Amino acid sequence: MKLTLRIATLATLIALPLPALAAPIQAVMYKNPTCSCCETYAAYLEQNGFKIELKPTNDLTQVSTAAGVPEQLQGCHTIMVDGYVVDGFVPVDVVKKMLTERPAITGIALPGMPMGSPGMGGVKTEPFTIYAFTTDGKAPTVYAVE
Amino acid sequence: MFVNSNLHISRRSFLLAGGGLAAAGLLRSWPVRSADIQELRIAAVPARAPLTGETHPDTEVWAYDAKVPGPVLRLRQGDPVRIVVENQLTQETTVHWHGIRLPIAMDGVPGLSQVPIKPAERFAYEFTPPDAGTFWYHPHANSLEQLGRGLAGVLIVDERDPVPVDRDILWMLSDWRLTTDGQIAAGFGNHMEAAMSGRVGNMVTLNGTVPTGERVRAGERVRLRLVNGSLARLMALRFEGHRPVVVAVDGQPCDPHEPDDGRVLLGPAMRVDVMLVMQGEPGRSYAVTDDFYDGLGYTLTRLNYAEGAPVRATPLDIAFRLPPNPLPEPDLATAERHEITLQGGMMGGGKLSGVGGISGMATPGMDGQAAWAIDGMSMTGDGQAGMPPLFTIQRGRSVVLTIRNETAWWHPMHFHGHSLKILTRNGSPVPHRQWNDTILFAPKDIVECAFVADNPGDWMLHCHVMDHQMAGLMTVLRIA
Repeated sequence: MKLTLRIATLATLIALPLPALAAPIQAVMYKNPTCSCCETYAAYLEQNGFKIELKPTNDLTQVSTAAGVPEQLQGCHTIMVDGYVVDGFVPVDVVKKMLTERPAITGIALPGMPMGSPGMGGVKTEPFTIYAFTTDGKAPTVYAVE
Repeated sequence: MFVNSNLHISRRSFLLAGGGLAAAGLLRSWPVRSADIQELRIAAVPARAPLTGETHPDTEVWAYDAKVPGPVLRLRQGDPVRIVVENQLTQETTVHWHGIRLPIAMDGVPGLSQVPIKPAERFAYEFTPPDAGTFWYHPHANSLEQLGRGLAGVLIVDERDPVPVDRDILWMLSDWRLTTDGQIAAGFGNHMEAAMSGRVGNMVTLNGTVPTGERVRAGERVRLRLVNGSLARLMALRFEGHRPVVVAVDGQPCDPHEPDDGRVLLGPAMRVDVMLVMQGEPGRSYAVTDDFYDGLGYTLTRLNYAEGAPVRATPLDIAFRLPPNPLPEPDLATAERHEITLQGGMMGGGKLSGVGGISGMATPGMDGQAAWAIDGMSMTGDGQAGMPPLFTIQRGRSVVLTIRNETAWWHPMHFHGHSLKILTRNGSPVPHRQWNDTILFAPKDIVECAFVADNPGDWMLHCHVMDHQMAGLMTVLRIA
């Protein structure tokens, strides 16, 4: 029942450009303390229906690894949201798609901080490949191409 | 925690035979005054160290003479020294005498200035320190891991005449990434960290153990030598209830001054000597905090005052000036000018496209992969033979060097074999006659510095966030 409600709420969120109508999605962002782009990304998520608690840490690698993010996908922040992990500047629509569809994965990541991604700024020069990863030792798979 | 000369140092006298010491006295500002040469011995060995105090078992480390930090080596300004380093590790090593102006053959860079010391072999470093001050020593081979596992120590060069302070205290600060069972975490050379702020750890030790507080007496005038021996951790120290006065930076005396906002900023590999007059109340305790990282401030240690009356009724003057070192003054009017640019890292505008690379001795897991560059060239690793110089300076010339940090990250840039007079930072004059061997750059900083190229050799210029050096933030300047 709760899950159904949540999905309904998320569906509303996706449908409506103004997220202020619904309760924000709570998320915790662990970030490198000297990185400024993470805060830009957090602000972007907050404009799109999330409430982000920032937790600067010098142990980000350990946090990310413990969360199951493969080393080659690790970025300057790791977000815990609704039972999933989001690493890197994943566009918000892809995050919401995951939270709605609830696939059997640990999380998703956009590695490499590409130009034009939310948080980086600049002009997008190539499609973003967002990977899904699990903690069962299997290689990451492509989750979405934006 | 006192710095005494009764440390683990063997001293032997040698008769000066013929010209056998000529190589040791390249910088002859101080004549060889005594007929004997100080001899010291240290060995790099696997060991166990009580970093965490009694909360965990001892940590497995690599250490000089099995101690973390290594023994404090005390030299005397202008007196020759011979330091025999024995390698009891299972991999090659070298020792770099950080900040000492010495001959290139004694500088400790693998390939570039010496053949590395193989396991079970020795190397004798011979030099005559021209400058008094606070220096340190560490490996320059597999640097990220060897330093990260504990190989580091402080080298103090004493002034010819004693400095009138009540006490001379050393705080060697080191940063460790430990696992929950108190052992050094694996994963040296993580790609993402190398392109960001480097391997910052989760525990800071003071003189090799969790800080337990510094016992002081009211009214004392103390020379506090601060050394940041971390791989990557930046520190900004505040002394509650006290007004530290900076009297030397990177070993070199400066005009005594209170640091901006009372905050002593220490990048990796940097040293700051401060004078502290113990102006607190007997019996009280004052926090020394490090608040460099927003939201991650912590109490490093405490100044714990003994009970009882102050040691003197009227405190001594705190604005005490250390005697100057014999640094050659660059002639700015005739100096040749060079500019170099630090590039790369995360948020550095994407990949290092078009970067010419020189793969050095790669750290396991890093594969010599470049994340940084200087003027478009990434030299990775610890140093190797045949590294091409970025440019060549004629010996004796004055040089004005402008270094631009185009990256979004902090970098303590270390130049070997010389001290650099800091002229301007972001266009503003830098006061207090400050000379550095390790210049700290905030993101986007531009620093103009000057020096006399009086020491021939191929000298490294690199970032002392060790992951940054390994991943390409390194170059070589030739003085010929």
